[in-house]
Amino acid sequence: MTSARLWVTGLGLITPLGADVETTWARLLRGDRGFRSIQLFDAQAQRAHVAGEVDGFEHPSDPDDALAGWSRSSAMAAAAAAEAMRAAAVDVRAARVGLVVGGTTGGMFENEQALARLHAEPRCRATLTRMLSHPLSAVGDLLNYRMGPFARVRTLASACSSGANALVVAASWLLAREVDIVVAGGSDALCRLTLSGFNALGALDPEPCRPFDKRRRGTNLGEGAGFLVLERADDARNGARRVPPIAELAGWSVGAEAHHITNPAPDGLLVASLIERAISRAGLRPSDIDYVNAHGTGTPLNDAMEATAIARALAREAARVPISSSKGQLGHTLGGAGAIEAAITALVVSRNMLVPTAGLDEPDPALALVHVPHVGREVPRVRAALSNAFGFGGMDTVLAFTNPVLEPPRSTRTATQRFCAVITGAAVFGICGLRGWDGCATLPDQRFALDTVVDPDSHLDVVRARRLDRAGRLAVVAVQHALGSNGDARDSMGLVLGSAYGNVDDSAAFMHRIFEKGVRAASPADFPNLVPSSPAGHVSIYLGLRGPTFMVADLATSGESAFIQAIQLVGARDAPRIVAGAVEPKSNIVERVLSSLFAYDPSQADAERADLAAAVVVESEQQALAQGRRVLCRVGQYLEWRRSDVAPAPLTTLQGPRLGRAEVVLPRASKDIEVLLASTPWGSCTKVMCNCALGESDALGTVALAVAAGRIAAGLAEEALVLGISKGRGYAVVLAA
Amino acid sequence: MNTQDLCSELKRLIVSELNLKGRSPDTIEDNAPLFGAGLELDSLDALQLAMVIEEKLGVRIPEGAEARAIFASVMSIATYIAKVQSG
Repeated sequence: MTSARLWVTGLGLITPLGADVETTWARLLRGDRGFRSIQLFDAQAQRAHVAGEVDGFEHPSDPDDALAGWSRSSAMAAAAAAEAMRAAAVDVRAARVGLVVGGTTGGMFENEQALARLHAEPRCRATLTRMLSHPLSAVGDLLNYRMGPFARVRTLASACSSGANALVVAASWLLAREVDIVVAGGSDALCRLTLSGFNALGALDPEPCRPFDKRRRGTNLGEGAGFLVLERADDARNGARRVPPIAELAGWSVGAEAHHITNPAPDGLLVASLIERAISRAGLRPSDIDYVNAHGTGTPLNDAMEATAIARALAREAARVPISSSKGQLGHTLGGAGAIEAAITALVVSRNMLVPTAGLDEPDPALALVHVPHVGREVPRVRAALSNAFGFGGMDTVLAFTNPVLEPPRSTRTATQRFCAVITGAAVFGICGLRGWDGCATLPDQRFALDTVVDPDSHLDVVRARRLDRAGRLAVVAVQHALGSNGDARDSMGLVLGSAYGNVDDSAAFMHRIFEKGVRAASPADFPNLVPSSPAGHVSIYLGLRGPTFMVADLATSGESAFIQAIQLVGARDAPRIVAGAVEPKSNIVERVLSSLFAYDPSQADAERADLAAAVVVESEQQALAQGRRVLCRVGQYLEWRRSDVAPAPLTTLQGPRLGRAEVVLPRASKDIEVLLASTPWGSCTKVMCNCALGESDALGTVALAVAAGRIAAGLAEEALVLGISKGRGYAVVLAA
Repeated sequence: MNTQDLCSELKRLIVSELNLKGRSPDTIEDNAPLFGAGLELDSLDALQLAMVIEEKLGVRIPEGAEARAIFASVMSIATYIAKVQSG
């Protein structure tokens, strides 16, 4: 076991209260509220149109014009990350610096403008192309271009806990000592889709919201970005100028309720257990906690559940610990919220000042909480504080921050494990049918017919699956099959799913209905499926997986990104076992925009993409053997990189084949990958291409891992390199018998 | 539409819009509870149903406690719609 203390050394905030940390902080303490009737777009027809808007990012444009248009989410993220990096004096050339970005809306606001034009002019090809110019990963790409090169970049989505989970990912990297510094946070801009969706769910208060108030009626949306710089205390900068820590990220805990796609489980049991585990991971007791920054959305259900969970987890200390929600001042900043509120909580422990709950006039007597109503106040000390973040689908995270002076480290803090990761299950579901690891071992060279019907429903209980969209269904079938009879102990099983573009077609259809029929035609049942993390939420609910659950997005290498992140989470002891997968349903828009066979009349173009989902199960070898599970293969080495002209490509450290029968399994064939491969010791090995059988898909990375694992388990190979690249990013994984 | 026709139409909408695959509309009883123990629908289904009723039948279901009573059963929804349409 190794351990490390994780310091927060820089913060950056863009919020409805201010475009930096100090302005936001001062106004938070004063009890200012950042709400107004939305000006960004016409929202007057909406039932609730009050929101926390950020000024100054209306028309972001890239001065170099090197990227095709910024989104507001990107621009706010860039500003917040820049502030945090300045504060912590981060030099990307002097250390291995990673970047983690959480979010849910990405460039949806910009996409909606494209959609509105497309709605008026259905055959406009240029506009259609714009629909894919803001995938979720574009925010990280922009930051990498502007402030990088970063050693690695991860984009994740877990709905409203995305920003908090960015810190969990950062911690997993730092504990594994794979990077020295991580810039991690979240960013989300307001858009019509989320406003219409939350209105359709009746989740918005038409007035400024009132968390924990007896009369609370819902939340308000907000927008903004929050970023934190994290680094290990023991080797921060190796003697370079040390920046004093603001706070210590001492503990955290991530899990899924597996309950409902929009509603929290009223018993609050998962959240209570996450609070207990975050406190315990920090080596603390409830009596050490001096403040909780609640998720506190102001919806009747959330606040009741959260109060129940806090009362259960803090027990008698709940009568002492002050609690507040920043949503009464900032609104719910969705993918930004978890990071923005984490930054606020770090300031609370650093400055011994409590931030308030604005709008709390009549505390709900049913919620047994100690409040900080209206304005902030100074307190003698805040030794440790919690920040809660909960997302749609019940993807919940609790972070624990401590004051490094008042609260010195405990011995159990942030231990990590040295371990060998293994794959103990694999499945692919698509035009090749449903294949387990043995079927993956012998994936044919010839293309299955791209119009083969892929029917997830024949593998599902259709009544229980009635809320699942196609991505959710495909993913459930693949994950279920990969788990096979290993599916016990789902209470602690995690899930990291990759997807490049999310649900573009249904998002477009949702907006078309609104453009055509008005905002009251926004479908409450469809909206949750448009949240990028929804397939992960659906899989967790359907299969009862209650470990860390989120999506990652990294274009055509989303599956590789999910796999490596799963290993990193197992290494950081965030879950004993994690299913790493990828899903990409066939999409008309993606097909029409990305198809190389794009014809003048898109309806005449031959399809070259098909439905695909794949999954592999990752855990430690020690555990797999102890529990008698069959190990398909061991994970030898894994590397990830971004194209950069400064840092040497990590690929130069790639180990060569060491065993007799070594193969290279490629998600897809391309000239670029041939060149790259030739520069490694694996250049002369036999190659297996996954796209030959399955067509093109952004989920092919996981297929390649499943195929490699299957071939090793079947004795067809002793060692395999999986190499995936996509627009300036790459991943390499060595698997061995 | 009379109340009986409305009940039939509502059952059809419940099965198609809430994606109750394999369920025949005829097997839904007029007076059986829709939520909880009955069809096991929940608040998200109620919201979807309210949107569909407004779109297809032109009747806006009120929000809050009033909606709860209206959504008790297929018959109570039909009765409410008939009342609004005749009124």
